[in-house]
Formats: sequence, C-alpha cells, structure tokens
Amino acid sequence: MEYELVAGFETHVELATNTKIFCSCTTEFGGEPNTHCCPVCIGLPGTLPKLNKRVVEYAIRAGLATNCEIAEISKMDRKNYCYPDLPKAYQISQYDKPLCEHGYIQLSNGRKIRILRIHIEEDAGKLVHRRGDTLVDYNRGGVPLIEIVTEPDFRSVDEAKEYVEKLQTIMRYIGVSDCKMQEGSMRCDVNISVRPKGSETLGTRTEIKNMNSIAFIAKAMEYEYGRQVDLIESGEKVIQETLRYDDVSNTTSSMRGKEDANDYRYFRDPDLVTINVPRSLVEEIKVSLPELPEAKKERYMNELGLPESDTLLLVKYRKVAEYFEEAAKGTKNPKTAANFIIGQIFRTVETESEKEQFDVGVTAKDLNELIKLLDDGKIKMNLAKSTLDKMLETGKKATELIDESDMGGLDESALKDLCQQAVDNNPKAVKDYLAGKEKAVKAMVGFVMKNSRGKADPALAEQTIIDIIGK
Amino acid sequence: MVTKEEIMKIAILSKLFVADDEIDKLTKDMGEIISFADTINNAADEGGDFDNINNLSNVLRDDEVVPSFEREKILQNAKDSDSGCFLVKNIMK
Repeated sequence: MEYELVAGFETHVELATNTKIFCSCTTEFGGEPNTHCCPVCIGLPGTLPKLNKRVVEYAIRAGLATNCEIAEISKMDRKNYCYPDLPKAYQISQYDKPLCEHGYIQLSNGRKIRILRIHIEEDAGKLVHRRGDTLVDYNRGGVPLIEIVTEPDFRSVDEAKEYVEKLQTIMRYIGVSDCKMQEGSMRCDVNISVRPKGSETLGTRTEIKNMNSIAFIAKAMEYEYGRQVDLIESGEKVIQETLRYDDVSNTTSSMRGKEDANDYRYFRDPDLVTINVPRSLVEEIKVSLPELPEAKKERYMNELGLPESDTLLLVKYRKVAEYFEEAAKGTKNPKTAANFIIGQIFRTVETESEKEQFDVGVTAKDLNELIKLLDDGKIKMNLAKSTLDKMLETGKKATELIDESDMGGLDESALKDLCQQAVDNNPKAVKDYLAGKEKAVKAMVGFVMKNSRGKADPALAEQTIIDIIGK
Repeated sequence: MVTKEEIMKIAILSKLFVADDEIDKLTKDMGEIISFADTINNAADEGGDFDNINNLSNVLRDDEVVPSFEREKILQNAKDSDSGCFLVKNIMK
C-alpha cells in the first residue's frame, strides 16, 4: 500500500526584545547562571508580572507578516505543569485568545501552509542533569517567545524544510528574532502521522520535540515516517506519544505519553489584565513592515528581469537584498549588480551569520559607482572584475584604483599589435591550437588581457588571434 | 458524574497513591464537590463580563533593561544550590 505523510509544526521563536516578557531583566544570551534574574522571573510569591509592550508589537508584526488576523481582545493564561524549569509550576501562555490566528505561508509548489495561531508566552529555565541531581538556571526563564502553530498541512519533508527556511527568513526580515537555531532562538516541534494515500482521516500522531536544525528536522521526519509505516505494515498500532530525536543514532525515542490539553488545567492568569489591540496600532505596524522576501522575489523577477535562481540568493537575507538594491540603483542592467554580488562578493562571506550581517569590504555605493563606469563604457568587464577584487581587498573606491589611462577600451590597432605579440610569444600554444586543441587559444587571450591590463575585450582578442594564426 | 476511572487518572496526575478501598468514597466525595461548584452556574450573572472584572486593560511596560538582582539574593532562599544554580533532586529516571 502507498502511504502519505501528514505533519504539522509548532515553532518557538525567541523575540529579540531587550527585556523579558514580564520583568525588566535582560534577555541577553549566555551570562553566568542566575545573573539575569529577579523575584518576578524566579516566581517568588507576592510578585506581579507586567507585560512588555514590545512583545505584543513583535507578535503582531509576526502575525501580519504571515497573513494572520490580529485579535482585538487577547489575554494571558496559565498552563500548569510541574517541572523545575518553571519556578511557578505554571507557564504564562495564551490559550483560547491568542494574539494572531488564521494566517498562512505559501510554498514554492503553490500550496499554502495554514497557520492556526501565533501566541506569546514565556520561555522556561535551563536544566543541567547530573547523576542524582539537577542544576537549574533561570536566565532564560521569562524570555519572550512566540509559538507559531500550523495546521497539519505538510505532505513531504521538502515542504517542511522550505517552510522552516521561509519562516526564518520572514522573522529576520521583520526584525522580531535572529532565529539562530543552533543557539535555540528558533526550535521546532513536529507532529507526524501517516495514512494510506487518498484517505481523508488522520492517523495517530506522534510529536518530535525541540529540534534545532533543519537537517535534523528532515532526518527525524524521514525516520519517524518510516517507523510508523513499518508499524502499520506489521499490523501494530502507532501510540500517541512525545518523542525525542537523537541525531547520533538517527532514531526517535519516547519521552512521555501525550497528555490531553485538559491536563494542563489552563485558566486565565488573574495577575495580568486584558490586552486590547486597537486597529490603529495594527495599521501602524502594517505600514512599518518592510517589503517581505516573497514580494521582493516577485519584483526582482518581474520588474528587474532577474532569473529566479538569482532572486532566491538575493532575498534570503534582508541586508543582501538592500545591498543589491543600492548597488543596482540607476544602472543599466540589474543583472550586473546581481552577478558581482553572487559571484565575487559572496566568496568573501562564508557563514550564515556573515551573510546575515553582510558587512563586506565594499559598500553598495562603491559597487554602484564601479557598475556605472562599466555602463558608461569607461572600463571593460575584465577590468571591472579585477578592480572589484582589489576593492574587496583594500576597501578603496574604484576611482582610486583605476588610472585614468586605464579608462576606455583598446583601439583596434593596439589590440592587433598585442595579439600578434601573443602569437609570437606562445609558439607552443599556436602549435597546440593548430593540432586541434581549441582551448590553447585561451593562453594567448590571457597574454593579451595581462598586457593590456584588462582593457582588451577578451572575445574580440580571441577572434583576432584566431584570424592571425589562420593566416 | 465523576467516574472511578477519572479519580484514578487524577490521582496519577497528582502523584497520589489511592488504595482500592478508598476509590468509592473519593468518587462520591469528588462528585459532591463538583455538584456544589455547579450551583455557581445557577447564580444570575446578568450577562456580566467575568473575563475582565476590574475593567483594566493594556497595563504594559516599556522594553527597558533594569539591572537584575545579585545572584546571592536570588539563591538565598533556595533549599540547596551549586555552581550558581538552584539544585533540585534528579527528575530524570
């Protein structure tokens, strides 16, 4: 029988606020244990939480950027569970009145992944288990999170990967989170079930908790899908439970049986008052949102005529897109700026976080100047390329690196002379070429380029050389 | 009505040991407690909004950092501590 994967995501995203959700302690990552704490975030009796305004604003930003409806009235609830990572034995979260509902993210295959809700809540502390006891650090306790819950709309691992990447890009664009999965500022839980292809009913699902890399998510989903299919094929039943994925053995194992929602005894937090979201605030936030990656991609393709492969690379990081837009401004063909960025400039940024920062050796304005020299015919592409390398190395402007004498192309007779020299000086290459090795001509073109200091047109030089040899 | 199964489930969730001969009595007691609470539902509420009885909303705080407490203060009431952390009994099996 053929089976189909059905999956849904719950993604926790740490908000990039300065302070925690209910107190004024810093949210900075790291720090000595329990040094970012106060009586509120360690849950001492008699303290009162007070909601951080920016948390509400950021959650609304996230909601608008994912096509959600923003609630007019929202509130905070207590989710009760007893575990030492929560000092109060409850987590302040949202139950039946989340800030955002009914959004979606569209995938490249045209399918929409529906977002059921986005709610705000506090993060838990960090536990370090030792033999016999457990150390508790509440620095992370009370750090604001949004939880983004999708409908079970995923039908393949590729869809899941694309969704997580898209979500990450969007959240970074709108500035609500850095979404660093390895640092835990973005973590995913995946609900997975399988069913016979064509069936409309959902199978029993399992939940894999707390995965912090896209590669792990993909591997865990593949493993869990296979495990469930095997169970069904051998006549056994999938048990509804919470699983942990172990990336070393590439297997999932049981953490605990899934509790019913009722077991958390959700109820309104009486310490926190109602959140009213005026429509004027929603409008204000809507206006302040930057152009989102999806819209940028469409614009680059339709208005600037860039190929899709280029646009995908350019829009992935907001700073890269902004750099591109400035570099391409007022130039003849935006593709030139795109080529320089994707080719030479990308070579100088290796890691994800370097691309995210995009603090490269050449400013977008300087690149723009270089492209304009090219557009005006003052320099040739080869010289532009070598100049850009020098600019990246030295941080100097194009005009500082290119001599006036280098400007302008090579006239016909000078090119002919150089080509003749190239032929005279490379007897072996000539011989090879005549013997049928067409590539040999490249060595002579190289000679011309070098001796013209990049001013010659390589295509023209090649043709001239062939003409000379042919005579 | 409360069932015996529900009582057993609540006992497990509350980490309470309930002997077999206690279940009937507990089921009856719990049923009475819940039906007592149900009488509240019969009280007239005249459509009042119990969700927001104090009529307050949007008590919000600006996102400005205030120095946290000294760690000694944070840990001073802890039963036990080690390496700057609260120390609790092992919770993992």
